[in-house]
Amino acid sequence: MRSISRRDFLKLGAASAAVLAVESQFNVIAYAAEQLIEGGRSVNRTSGLPRSFLSSTCMQCPASCGITGYVEESRLVKIGGNTKHLSNQGALCGRGQAGINAIYDPERLLSPMKRVGPRGSDSWEHISWDQALEEVGDALSSLKSRDPRELVFLTQELDDDYLGQRFTYAFGSPNAIGSTGDFDANKLVADELTWGVAGDMPDVSNSKYIIVFGANPLESNPQYVGIARRLVEGIRDNQAKVVVFDTRLTNTSALSNELHYANPGTMGLVILALANVIMQEGLYKRSFIENWTNVTPEQLAQHLAEYTPERAEAETGVPAVVIRTVATEFASTEPATTFTDKMLSNHASGVQNERAAMLLSIITGNIDNHGGLCMPRVQELAQPEPVPPTPEPSALSNPPEFPLASEQVIAGTFAQIRNRAQNVGVLISHNGDPAYSNPDLGLVEDVLKDEALIPYHVAVTPFLTETAALADIILPETTYLEDSDIIVSPSPELVPYVSLRQPVVQPLKETRSFFSIASDLALRVKGGMEQYFDFKRVDGYLSARIANIAGLQKAGGLNYLKQHGVWYDPKSQPDYQAFRNNGFNTPSGRLEVSSERIAALGSPALPTYEPVTFMNQLREQDFVLTIFDTAIQSDWKTGNCMWLDEVLHRNPAWMNPVTAEELGVEDGDEIKLTRPNNVGEAKARSVTSTVYLTEGIHPRVIAMANGVGHKAFGRIAQAESIPYREPPKILQDPNTEMIWWGHEEPGGNGVNPKQIVPIALDPIGGGEAWGDMVVTVAKAKE
Amino acid sequence: MSETAQARAAIYGLLGRVFSAKPSCELLKGLKDKQMLDALAAFEVVLEPDFIAGEEKQQAGELAAEYTRLFLGPGPHIAPYESVFIPGEGEESPRLWGEATREVAKFFEEAGLELGEGETPDHISLEFGAIAVLAQEEAEKRESGDSEEADRLREMQLRFCSEHPARWVPELSRAVADSTRSGFYRSMVLLAENVVRMHCGGK
Repeated sequence: MRSISRRDFLKLGAASAAVLAVESQFNVIAYAAEQLIEGGRSVNRTSGLPRSFLSSTCMQCPASCGITGYVEESRLVKIGGNTKHLSNQGALCGRGQAGINAIYDPERLLSPMKRVGPRGSDSWEHISWDQALEEVGDALSSLKSRDPRELVFLTQELDDDYLGQRFTYAFGSPNAIGSTGDFDANKLVADELTWGVAGDMPDVSNSKYIIVFGANPLESNPQYVGIARRLVEGIRDNQAKVVVFDTRLTNTSALSNELHYANPGTMGLVILALANVIMQEGLYKRSFIENWTNVTPEQLAQHLAEYTPERAEAETGVPAVVIRTVATEFASTEPATTFTDKMLSNHASGVQNERAAMLLSIITGNIDNHGGLCMPRVQELAQPEPVPPTPEPSALSNPPEFPLASEQVIAGTFAQIRNRAQNVGVLISHNGDPAYSNPDLGLVEDVLKDEALIPYHVAVTPFLTETAALADIILPETTYLEDSDIIVSPSPELVPYVSLRQPVVQPLKETRSFFSIASDLALRVKGGMEQYFDFKRVDGYLSARIANIAGLQKAGGLNYLKQHGVWYDPKSQPDYQAFRNNGFNTPSGRLEVSSERIAALGSPALPTYEPVTFMNQLREQDFVLTIFDTAIQSDWKTGNCMWLDEVLHRNPAWMNPVTAEELGVEDGDEIKLTRPNNVGEAKARSVTSTVYLTEGIHPRVIAMANGVGHKAFGRIAQAESIPYREPPKILQDPNTEMIWWGHEEPGGNGVNPKQIVPIALDPIGGGEAWGDMVVTVAKAKE
Repeated sequence: MSETAQARAAIYGLLGRVFSAKPSCELLKGLKDKQMLDALAAFEVVLEPDFIAGEEKQQAGELAAEYTRLFLGPGPHIAPYESVFIPGEGEESPRLWGEATREVAKFFEEAGLELGEGETPDHISLEFGAIAVLAQEEAEKRESGDSEEADRLREMQLRFCSEHPARWVPELSRAVADSTRSGFYRSMVLLAENVVRMHCGGK
């Protein structure tokens, strides 16, 4: 081809423009409107309004996915996934998209309020911010001079609430407490004890063989979308075999190659029998065990010998031949990994169960390798100078009975307050709803109502949750879509990243960000704490948090994050098996298969199966209750998201038809679930539900979904319609008239089964044993 | 230099149109215009005399059938999607919504281009359309004096063209030339190939 001159190009351009101009249905702009979007910029296709968009970070669940908020005339109209984000890579689940329901909840708290009737009577008086901050500031000032340690700050998870912790420490109290019981505490302790860091990250997209024990990443996981899509990649692109042991047909098991029901509470035995086969058959990696653990193969083989596949079959119900086959396949496929979650760790033997599962990856050398069970990679953040000193621990922040607990003993907090293990002068509740999420909700409610135990309760919250309903004063906070913070989370890609939460729209009405509230209070309380909140607006704080990340600083620092929403080193690759140079962060520098620290508590040092006693005592009408998470609701947090409530608002009890028939119970029957006398104490004894018959459940298990059954959190969460054009008009939404499920029987919004679960903690990890709960089932109406 | 951007917008807009659907009579009439024929000659595209002399309404009908047969089916046809022509790493066979599609989707998102519902972004007409839209915007920015933003938009088009259309348009052109029964689409893919080559050097 001869060279084409610019003149030729312009000539063709002019001719083309002429063609486009005469073709009535078509010109460049019309083309864009038809196939792309008008003018090429994002535009609402029906209204023609221009849209702007901004990257931020989702907080609807702990996964912290990257999001893009689309805004028209200052109103958020859509939330999508941020394609640049390393974890979710542009995908976003329904909860993330329904964030729009949270920000525009017609019953959002938009002004500061003060209680006028008795606690919990739902009588409030609007007050000004000046008055609210003055009252709270005065209460805090006088407490600070009396005993600063009596400030208790409750939040969902400390990792997500650095500012709250900083505020509490700056005040002089150690009592910044993760408040909700719905948490993987035992697993974190097991990880910490074994390889020196809390948490794990199975490299599922690169694995060839994945055994899932009581995990359901396709519906629920701390890294939800990020790990779910990588598991699917592993299955689809890498042809990984997936074997699931569980008590319920989850979405994850539906996508697996094999699902085996294990008797409830016996998973630890299945795992140790698998390990035993690998040791007896000589399928283990001798050099890995010798070089990197604190036991010898011989010691291990001897310890595991009692866990024969035949014994496992007798006690767990999993056939011995399955155990032999899966063990052989797992040990002879490289790379392979285990994948565990709450259903394995939420037991009284949770730490032992988790350590047993890690053992499988350890003896086969699948530790922190490509496709194996990897350690979590989390970007470290800086603490802005000056850093408040950490106050001496308290019985609440570090319960002495649980010296190994890596977080506080979350589920036990309210019992400790009741027992006056820690006196409370002022309680600040933030970003959490323990009166919905914890075990023994009756106790939580009693404590929160008791003005002798809790003289002053300040709720910093966008919503009138079950917990906030029991406050004395409410400081209306922005939602996560209107405020800022720096967010880090374990990277499913094994390359650390840092993510920015920034306001995609301005705070609604009188709401204020937690940063603004905490700074304002610190400046009022003074007494030295003001120096820790001396930031040049929120940007000063955000910049200080990322000051330690050289690569991000070079890329533009906070400005880079504001533009892209996320940063990671583009050249970085997963640093597999760094332990080969540095060892493990444990007392021995090795994988502590044998843990002296556990032995010091009087428990076996090696991973051991502790038989569950209740299985032998189950009568025909007794079941083990499983409370499971779904992909729709995120524990307490999404209660008022209408789109989500429409999908999941009830939680009928899953029952196997075989056992149902024995009980004479049919699909749709109303049943009563009652806690037997020998299963601990909780204020509520029974709940009512309906039966959902399915073969997708172990015959001795009854399962109910978490995330529904709210008693507060506004009318949407309680399945009541909100008439359109009812004040406050700022948030009116015609869709809220269409809540049709309130009329479903019984109780259109389900029930919260946590109210009958007693506080029962793993003695090593301190995590709640949600999975060990026995209930007696009877027809509610004969 | 808003003139060049304007020209680029129009050319890619035309190409996007040509491959997006069956031709209309107006489109065919416009292509036969003297000014257009001269311009096309510089790109080594010569429309057949029979075509130029023919009656548009009849031609539009014939070409509608040919467009459908070539690009839509039923039966064997050319799926004009990048991921079908350029399999991604680890993709053994061509597929719709493959790696290339995801890359193009990502580019669209970064460029602020939002897809219509159900659209697959690496369709040839959308790849050309995207450049057209960005070029149009570049021209506007240049006219309003925002040359920094205009330069960024020009760079964006160039990068997209070399990373995407330039990778597969020559192959698409060969595939169409081999199977079309009409001189019209043979000419149009040749035009596309030459425009892309001029824009970013091609392969």
